[in-house]
Amino acid sequence: MATDTRAAAIPAVGFDRPRGWRALGRYSLLLFVAFLVLFPIYTTIVAALKPGNEVLNDPLRPGPFTLDVLRDAWSTGRLGRYLLNSFVVAIVVTVCQVVTSLLAAYAFAMLDFPGRTLLFGVFLATLLVPLEVTLVVNRRLIDSLGWLNTYQGLAAPFLATAFGTFLLRQVFLTLPRDLRDAAAIDGVGHLGFLRHVAIPLVRPTLGALALFSFLSTWNQYLWPNLITTEADKNTVQSGLRLLASTNLDEPNLVMAGTVIAAIPIFVVLIVFQRQLVRGLTAGAVKG
Amino acid sequence: MIPRHSASRRIAALALVGAASLLAAACSSGESALESGNERPTTPATSAPPATAEPGATTPAGSAPTTAAPTTTVTPLADLPPCPVDALDGAAGPVELTFWHGMSNELETALIELTDQYNASQDAVVVTLQNQTGYEATIDKYIQSSQSSRPDIVQFPEYTVQLLADSGTVIPIGACIEASGFDTSPILDRILKAYATEGVQWSMPFNVSNPVLYYNKAMFEEAGLDPEAPPLSLEELRATSQAIVDSEAAGYGIALDTGADSGGGWFIEQWFAKGGELYADNGNGRLAPATRVLYDGPAGVELMSYVQQMITDGLAVNVGDNASGQDNFLKMADTVSPAAMTIGTSAALGTVTAVLDGGLIQGITGEDLGVGPMPGPGPGALVGGASLYIVAEKGDEKAAAAWDYIQYLISPESQSQWAAATGYVPIRSDALELEPLATKYVEDPRFKVAYDQLLGTSDDPSAFGPVLGPLREVRAATARGVAEIFNGDDVAEVLSRTAGESNALITSYNERN
Repeated sequence: MATDTRAAAIPAVGFDRPRGWRALGRYSLLLFVAFLVLFPIYTTIVAALKPGNEVLNDPLRPGPFTLDVLRDAWSTGRLGRYLLNSFVVAIVVTVCQVVTSLLAAYAFAMLDFPGRTLLFGVFLATLLVPLEVTLVVNRRLIDSLGWLNTYQGLAAPFLATAFGTFLLRQVFLTLPRDLRDAAAIDGVGHLGFLRHVAIPLVRPTLGALALFSFLSTWNQYLWPNLITTEADKNTVQSGLRLLASTNLDEPNLVMAGTVIAAIPIFVVLIVFQRQLVRGLTAGAVKG
Repeated sequence: MIPRHSASRRIAALALVGAASLLAAACSSGESALESGNERPTTPATSAPPATAEPGATTPAGSAPTTAAPTTTVTPLADLPPCPVDALDGAAGPVELTFWHGMSNELETALIELTDQYNASQDAVVVTLQNQTGYEATIDKYIQSSQSSRPDIVQFPEYTVQLLADSGTVIPIGACIEASGFDTSPILDRILKAYATEGVQWSMPFNVSNPVLYYNKAMFEEAGLDPEAPPLSLEELRATSQAIVDSEAAGYGIALDTGADSGGGWFIEQWFAKGGELYADNGNGRLAPATRVLYDGPAGVELMSYVQQMITDGLAVNVGDNASGQDNFLKMADTVSPAAMTIGTSAALGTVTAVLDGGLIQGITGEDLGVGPMPGPGPGALVGGASLYIVAEKGDEKAAAAWDYIQYLISPESQSQWAAATGYVPIRSDALELEPLATKYVEDPRFKVAYDQLLGTSDDPSAFGPVLGPLREVRAATARGVAEIFNGDDVAEVLSRTAGESNALITSYNERN
């Protein structure tokens, strides 16, 4: 933060702001990369706003403008239902991940118990096991519980996260031990300390974790696809596949569905972007 | 690398070999690349023991070498779940059925229509359709699910017959046919038999397709070819492609792909059937479980060398694994360097004509599209598409209801409506006499090509296609090999390696089942 304001206060000076050819080179590279990133988004939006077969005739230029396709995608694609499903699952997973990570991280950082290092090592090792490896076993378990096509089935395998635990533990470790000792002398228990002292101090990281959990749950594709067999239980990502597979001859409809599915994510990102960046880089730069 | 004239010289040489084989000569032109070096005289002998060296060692379930003899004196249905066809009468309220299907686009629309009609036509059964987004997803979900999570009816593609037979999770349709005295005589025999192994009818064919040639008539005219005479043999296919490329009517003669369920796997099975070649031992696995594939023999090498040469010479273009099933068609609509032809499933015809008639593709109208039989070493085709299975252990009422619904879907009226809307082949000949199919076939003969092609198939055992437990995986392995061949690798070496992989899959499957 501090460096930011200083840089702004002394404009056009210093090695941060190259001039002449160097600046030209740097900005053209940035523009090129930005173009690569934005181009698919651009074509998606353009296609979503075009009527009928205009898309195939002229896919690039913004042409005749209509909102009918978006409306159509909303109704034929049942996207309202899928968005609701996605929201419920993403929020349940986010809340649970934050709570479980918080408690586990606190235990790993603040409590002394036998086997702590070993346990934490095992915990971290689960980061090395990708979702795909446990997919079949997880699906069988959810099936035997009778949870196919349910919210609990969609959420259950993701209620705890090694990544979140690790992230929060590292932040907890930076808290001075004296704080905990002082609180203990005042008669504050673990939960009290967590609530009144630790959480306020790690709030940026917590926000980043929540956002990260939300985004990754929202973007899940494989799992919802595997455990839903009824159309109404799809999340928005697996619902999009249904939309795409049943409307091959209407590419603009599929694009419109994609736009609708992406809007909530855009909103969340724009609103919480500061939180995300601050949390993930917390401690990276001394400021 | 390889001089242009070598192909014709080879074909001339093959003609000699072909003439030596009486059966081969009787089967087709006798000039085809596939006629050479095969063991045709032995194949029609269906009652002979399997061709493997030691069948007893590799066939499962402790079967002696004699298992291969197709003498089914005892009813094979005795050990399988019965079909309680009358249980619907005792049902208290409407029986609710769930049906997992893999239909999309025009096909799904037509299926929804048929099902709505069925639900409205009676009070005893209500069917709920559940789209599982394609066959592959349906198979995965079905295999991974517990019996209670499975649907009551499921649609599976033709390459899963053995898998479902071994799964022990379905009521064989043969039991329902027997119990209700259902008359199967109007159903085309070869379509029904495609879903039978070792004397058991496992499922009821519903949507039948086979590969056909799609071509651009305008490009044919531009190349000075007769737009009503698409190539039939492989030599004609090459000549036609050459004419198209030479006249610059199109960049390529034909677009081919390496997808497991198209150019990479399925088409080879089709070409083998057309050429009267067995794809797997034990009568393509229909007399006893197959133990190995046979496509690495001389016939397979000849066939794939021919295709490779087409690509090397710039007459054919490889569009990759075609995961969407659309890339080969889109290559025909390419604005820069299009192909004039492609081979694709007849099931795509309804969607392709809908897209073209809708004016979605610039420069090609619905009338430009021609459809012909799949070019190959002989006439006919294997039955592709999918069939309907009744899932077991769902209760007598559901089984009876499922049988009732299936009978509705395969009635002549339903099949007529279904085939006219989709391009699928009706499973029964009497559907052709009913509207809307009767008119459709007269007004748009392109829809009848796949049906005629199927009728033209021989009665040789090879013409019933392979049933292998791991056929899905075998196709995937084969398709990877075909991709290498299309990229110019040594044909014989790739085929022998791929066949080795396939045989290992089969051995492993047979050991487990």
